[in-house]
Amino acid sequence: MDFSVVVEYFPRLLEGAWVSVQLVALSVVLGALVALPIALARISQNWWIKGFPYAYIFFFRGTPLLVQIFLVYYGASQFDVVRESFLWPILREPYWCAIIAFTLNTSAYTAEIFRGAIQAIPEGEVEACKVVGMTKAQMYRRVLLPRAFGIVLPAYGNEIILMLKGSALASTITILDLTGMARTIIARTYTPIEIFLAAGGIYLAISMVIIAIFRQVEKRQNRYLGTVSIKVPDKG
Amino acid sequence: MSKAPALELIDIHKTFTDVEVLKGISLKAYDGDVISILGSSGSGKSTFLRCINLLENPTKGEIIFNGESLKLTSSGRDLAAADMKQLTKMRQQIGFVFQSFNLWPHMTVLQNVMEGPSHVLKRPKHEVMDYAEHLLNKVGIADKKHMYPNQLSGGQQQRVAIARTLAMDPQVILFDEPTSALDPELVGEVLGVMRKLAEEGRTMLIVTHEMSFAKEVSSEVVFLHKGVVEEKGTPDKVFNSPDSERCRTFLSSTY
Ligand SMILES: Nc1ncnc2c1ncn2[C@@H]1O[C@H](COP(=O)(O)OP(=O)(O)OP(=O)(O)O)[C@@H](O)[C@H]1O
Ligand SMILES: [Mg+2]
Repeated sequence: MDFSVVVEYFPRLLEGAWVSVQLVALSVVLGALVALPIALARISQNWWIKGFPYAYIFFFRGTPLLVQIFLVYYGASQFDVVRESFLWPILREPYWCAIIAFTLNTSAYTAEIFRGAIQAIPEGEVEACKVVGMTKAQMYRRVLLPRAFGIVLPAYGNEIILMLKGSALASTITILDLTGMARTIIARTYTPIEIFLAAGGIYLAISMVIIAIFRQVEKRQNRYLGTVSIKVPDKG
Repeated sequence: MSKAPALELIDIHKTFTDVEVLKGISLKAYDGDVISILGSSGSGKSTFLRCINLLENPTKGEIIFNGESLKLTSSGRDLAAADMKQLTKMRQQIGFVFQSFNLWPHMTVLQNVMEGPSHVLKRPKHEVMDYAEHLLNKVGIADKKHMYPNQLSGGQQQRVAIARTLAMDPQVILFDEPTSALDPELVGEVLGVMRKLAEEGRTMLIVTHEMSFAKEVSSEVVFLHKGVVEEKGTPDKVFNSPDSERCRTFLSSTY
């Protein structure tokens, strides 16, 4: 084994890692924004309001992320409407296709996590809102959403790490993320073990940073919030 | 009495699945009344109290607050609010203190107390803050105002919950066994606050198992048994010479 290639190509690997971090950060933030209305609709008593989020979540959890990426990347260009629309400059870029696919995928999981959190809020706290005469909107804005956010945050680190690992699939549509960069380097150096070991090490390091951040958040919260446990859906 | 009751409940019924838990309960509370509701476990005390502000939808009955009848419409077997605006308005003026406090854990003590008046009643912040501090002082928690509910003892949490209710300036306050979740040594501090409220002339309906407290502060005592009013009258009458045999048995076993 020749680890001098690792030293030589380490800056390139870091470049790739930076792309991976961007992909994950952007899609996680956008995914949370998309997830919120979906979670709220999912809680509704009306079957025709909760029908859409139900199908949405079913689709994105039930199909492989890789298929979703291909659908966005290869699928969008099949339609003239898309090619002629103002969205084309975006949908033509593999980078944005990956972000769109990741956002949609993570939003389905995040919506389920939000829903679990909102439904885990003790009924008594909801009743306390009702007895002061809050409207439904006030109840969500002032108590349910901030409360759900607090409940979710510790568990949410898990979803981000799963997203980080899933982001390796971006390399299949020519993106030079950490995995894509590693493969490019290997094609030149023929040192797959060394380079993939190094790439794996970088993924681990990023995961550990994410875990450390969320552990800190959790510690701060448990100090005054107590613990509420929720069922986090498995990533299939 | 010529003045209309502050709160009047007429023939309240409630059926859960196939059990009729309330079988027609009527009650009038005039301004300044302190009405204690007694009864053994499962007699329907909480259900009755929760029907008043529609935390539980009654199956039948009428709720009149300040001379205004709450508009109800049938929803399945039960009645539900026909006019949500009217219901929220009414809830703003009827306080409710829970057995399990139900403070909002993500807000500090002070924020809990300020929440209703500032965000529901939309009163100016500085006014609300002064009033909240005054109330926390009154229930003896002023020094804990920046703490979170989970950092307080049960008795302290319940006193905060009472301050939170008072902050809305409710015309009537409903208490559902406010001391039952507390360790015995903490019961006194909460009863002390409630005694003060009774002396101020607040209108209160209190479900409680604290017999000597009920006897001392009530203007009227109601004894529920299996969803009906079995005995009703002044504390002296109910505690010392009840007509109902069941009431006598209940009192001798608990008091
Ligand atoms: N949501 C519900 N669904 C079905 N049954 C219920 C429900 N809530 C209460 N009950 C039943 O109604 C009856 C009256 O309950 P309630 O809580 O009003 O009694 P209580 O007098 O307050 O008793 P306690 O002193 O134990 O608090 C009980 O038999 C209870 O099991
Ligand atoms: Mg009860």
